[in-house]
Amino acid sequence: MRLRVLVPSLIAAALPLVAPRAQAPEPVHVESFTLANGLRVHFVEDHSAQVVAVNVWYDVGSRNERPGRTGFAHLFEHMMFQGSANVGKAEHGQLVERAGGQYNGSTAPDRTNYYNTVPSNRLNLALWLEADRMRSLAVTAENLANQQEAVKEERRMRFDNQPYFGAFVDSVPLVYDRDRCFAYAHSIIGSMGDLEAATVEDVQGFFDLYYAPNNATLVVVGDFDPGQARRLVSDYFGGIHRGPLPPAVACEPMPTVGSEMVKRVADANATLPAILMVFRTVPPAHVDFPALELLSTILGTGESSRLNRTLVRDAKLAVAAQALYNPFGPMRGTGLFGALAIANQGVDVDTLHTRLMQLLLAAGGSITADELTKAKNAWRAQTIFGRQQAIAVSEAVHYAAMFLGSPEAVNTDAARYGAVTLADLRRVARTYLRPENSLTLLIVPEGR
Amino acid sequence: MRALSTIIALVLLAAPAAAQFPTRPPAPLPLEPTLFPPFVEFELENGLRVVLVSSEKQPVLSLSLSVLGGATHDPAGKSGTADLVAGLLTKGAGTRSAEQIAADIERVGGSLGASAGQDFLTLNATVLRDDRELAFSLMADALLRPTFPPSELELLRTQSLSALALEKSQPDAIASRAFARALYGDHPYGRRPTEASVTAITRSDLVAFHASRVQPGQALLVIAGAIDSTEAHRLVEQSFGAWVRRFPPTPPMRPAPQRATSEILLVHRPGSVQSNILVGNTTWLPTDTRGYALALANQVLGGASDARLFQILREQKGWTYGAYSGVTRTRGLGYFSASAEVRTEVTDSALVELLLQVRRMGSEPLDFEEFERQKQTLVGRFPLQIETADQVAAQVARARLLGLATDYVQTYRERLSAVTREQAQAAARAGMRADAALIVVVGDGNLVRELLERIAPVTMVDVEGNPIAPTQPVAPVVVPSRPLEIDRWRMTPATDSFTVLVQGQAFGHQVSALERFGDGWQYTEQSVLGTLIQQQTTVRFSAAAAMWSVEQSGLFQGQELRLSVRYGDGTVTGEGITPGGQGGMQPVRYTAVPIPEGTVDDNALQALLPYFNWAPNASFTVAVFASGKGEVEQRTFRVVAEEVVSVPLGTFAAYRVSYTGGDAPGTYWIELTAPHRLLKFGPSGAPLEIVRVR
Repeated sequence: MRLRVLVPSLIAAALPLVAPRAQAPEPVHVESFTLANGLRVHFVEDHSAQVVAVNVWYDVGSRNERPGRTGFAHLFEHMMFQGSANVGKAEHGQLVERAGGQYNGSTAPDRTNYYNTVPSNRLNLALWLEADRMRSLAVTAENLANQQEAVKEERRMRFDNQPYFGAFVDSVPLVYDRDRCFAYAHSIIGSMGDLEAATVEDVQGFFDLYYAPNNATLVVVGDFDPGQARRLVSDYFGGIHRGPLPPAVACEPMPTVGSEMVKRVADANATLPAILMVFRTVPPAHVDFPALELLSTILGTGESSRLNRTLVRDAKLAVAAQALYNPFGPMRGTGLFGALAIANQGVDVDTLHTRLMQLLLAAGGSITADELTKAKNAWRAQTIFGRQQAIAVSEAVHYAAMFLGSPEAVNTDAARYGAVTLADLRRVARTYLRPENSLTLLIVPEGR
Repeated sequence: MRALSTIIALVLLAAPAAAQFPTRPPAPLPLEPTLFPPFVEFELENGLRVVLVSSEKQPVLSLSLSVLGGATHDPAGKSGTADLVAGLLTKGAGTRSAEQIAADIERVGGSLGASAGQDFLTLNATVLRDDRELAFSLMADALLRPTFPPSELELLRTQSLSALALEKSQPDAIASRAFARALYGDHPYGRRPTEASVTAITRSDLVAFHASRVQPGQALLVIAGAIDSTEAHRLVEQSFGAWVRRFPPTPPMRPAPQRATSEILLVHRPGSVQSNILVGNTTWLPTDTRGYALALANQVLGGASDARLFQILREQKGWTYGAYSGVTRTRGLGYFSASAEVRTEVTDSALVELLLQVRRMGSEPLDFEEFERQKQTLVGRFPLQIETADQVAAQVARARLLGLATDYVQTYRERLSAVTREQAQAAARAGMRADAALIVVVGDGNLVRELLERIAPVTMVDVEGNPIAPTQPVAPVVVPSRPLEIDRWRMTPATDSFTVLVQGQAFGHQVSALERFGDGWQYTEQSVLGTLIQQQTTVRFSAAAAMWSVEQSGLFQGQELRLSVRYGDGTVTGEGITPGGQGGMQPVRYTAVPIPEGTVDDNALQALLPYFNWAPNASFTVAVFASGKGEVEQRTFRVVAEEVVSVPLGTFAAYRVSYTGGDAPGTYWIELTAPHRLLKFGPSGAPLEIVRVR
């Protein structure tokens, strides 16, 4: 009985966990220190509920992968739940669940995260578990074979057996040039052939290179005593050896002008055609980033957004239309601005494409001050709503540290959004939303 | 040479943390008692009940108003009415058009929306504190003064029809729709919107539904966040005080169909690369006090990643990305379900395993350690479920809407903690019906139909629910000889030690070990009986107890004894010299002897006995290959009594199990509770007993 929300939730389900892109005006007090082995640690105290979030980000994602070795970062996320010196296979999750907690991990282009929320008296357990796998992951042939299968099953379940996802995941990276930026020119889940070819040595090498304390950041948020937490962090993580410096990621910034790419993809699982347009943009620290994010809100978030009002409500060309800002997660290289529309019954995909392109091109000259205010309010409200749970605050601190250069930016990012002007919006619309900077996927039901 | 103190210092410096790093998970830190956060309840004169949870943590306010107007109340032939009413509440209300409502709420960064569940229609709003007047005013307009513009109805109808079309491409949506329809039949919980029913709904249907179902006496308003009681009272009175109370009839709930045996509904999805399996049955009313025990049983079965379904179907078998079970409570009859999405080629294996695990929940006592840890999980999870004000409010609202006890949220954890293993097993026996289950499989019928017919009667339909006749006559149903149902899930490496007593005097010993071997197991057994016999036996078999090999060597009355056996492809080949009937030795040799599926080597029996599904009056007939003779024998193991036995290891409650078939009938004593260790055994009519030492 969920007809109305079905389409958006379908899209949300396809995407990896996206780090919060926005910070609230209310200040968060961050206490930071670095262990001798290079592990960066940020604490945020909040005693309003008896829970604590322990969240480790490793500075590794699909962008660190090389040709022939794609899918490693994600495969590795699976391996991290297969046990370590003192924790059995899958025992991490069992211990957290038994403690009444929740846990998971996710892989994005730029980072892999492992997060736990536990009742506050189990902070020690969550820290111990993260430390044990950082220092002694069990990289064995058996675990590798098992997880190669699990990833293949994940692909079958999440992509190959669902409409749109496979086309979406496989084709969006084509907006990047493989030769200039292989880092982002392949999917997170990677090639199944590459995955099968992975050896224990490959995986061990990946661990040694990227899963060292000096390549990780730990954030703890919630109901804890900082003195006690500091002792626990030092006891558990202090003895882990520093690793080598990982090689730099090779990715030349992509120009915003190239040639328009249009790709038609047949999808056996789809019953309605869909269009996804993707434009190359900028990293979060770039001056244009807040304006682009507000532009995506104006164009495609909410019922009063331009895409919904025009394509769904007025022209009735689409059953759903929305913007997707960095759908795979933020990137320190060239980012993504997407617009998605699923065609209404009987609507020709090319008609919808023409209308969608017109709408996006018109944005550069027609955004109003009212729309800008609305987008800023929405950003502020969403940011505050997102501060209600410890885990969300921990993600916000991580985001600030990795993408904005400092955990303190969790408190200053809002000013960048507040300062965006109408002229900024129009300028970024004209600069980035142009056909020669885009990839268009026309996803059509197979055999129709 | 360095001074000793220097060496000690260097050693300490070299690996200080490695030495200190705890090898066991740290014990819990002290925890302040978690009290359920305070909340306030009040009622307006018109009967509207209000739950208020005040919290200043963030300047956020959320509102949720539920009326008894879910899909259960859809008029006959017009399924989807409640959905359309919910969708249109925010598409024109009071003096605002749909565009104005969306613009007003989105301008402040808030959200407003309604949805219809089975029982209730619920309207939600979330705003920053400063926008509370707007939120209350929009909520009241939407709920009490919707205008149902015809153009909005047609737009929403079109979207609904498209969404129905989209659903047909989503296997999980197909599965849950088919499951609900077949589980509840004509009961309102079984109805789902169809193209025909959504097309048939008129605007006057919506107006009539709204007029009859949106009543303050059957409504609950939940307010959570940055608002105090005075302000909440003021806004509630201002917005909902004039809502007039009337008393609509509440239609009685019809009973749902009862199933006597299991049946499979196969939804044919040509080309599907996986099968979505959904198994379940209807349960009870939400007020049934067995609900706590069933929730715990469900937790053990499939409530978490350390529960049985996930551990077996994903971690052990690698058949699926996840496998879970759940208990759904509604105002009327709830249901139990277990599900997995598996590769097409393992559809039947996965279903058999799923059903076996569901059955075990009711048929055998729960393991103490497993039960306690799953209970700890459910109870311990509570702090995370009440982290935010709207989570707290949602807990209270659910209890009120389902008509649970007034102190439900405060006593929930204590009541859950008090559930015993026996209560959980009894609840599972009544509420998880592997013998009377509805089984829905969405997958490629051409590939899985015949396999499924071996498990239960199959009805095949297309995604619209239309029956599909078999394109060719299906071969007669052959029920294969069932593999021995040993409880693989419990198998664990172990070392056992026994003393052999002859007329009460120690005469020899037997030491055995079960270890993992590749994907399967290796059982080794060393026996010494005075000078009579010394032998060592190694049996290897798969995780499913399919035999791989037997190697045996030793001395029998000073003469060499040996045996080498290979199993494979439904046959067995062996060669050796074994003790004959008259005390002498005789050679044996057999090649490719056919054996039934599930046959167990007699040398493996002792290793496998603890993993039978032991229960009062249980009886197992097992095909056993006597590899020393080269013959298949049927042996029957029957629980004949429960008694207390004392062995050197200790005193235990045990099943006395008699076995027949083979050369020497005899008796086993098996520990009553899991891990069902073998405590004592011996042949009938001989002064020989083998008793457990360790």
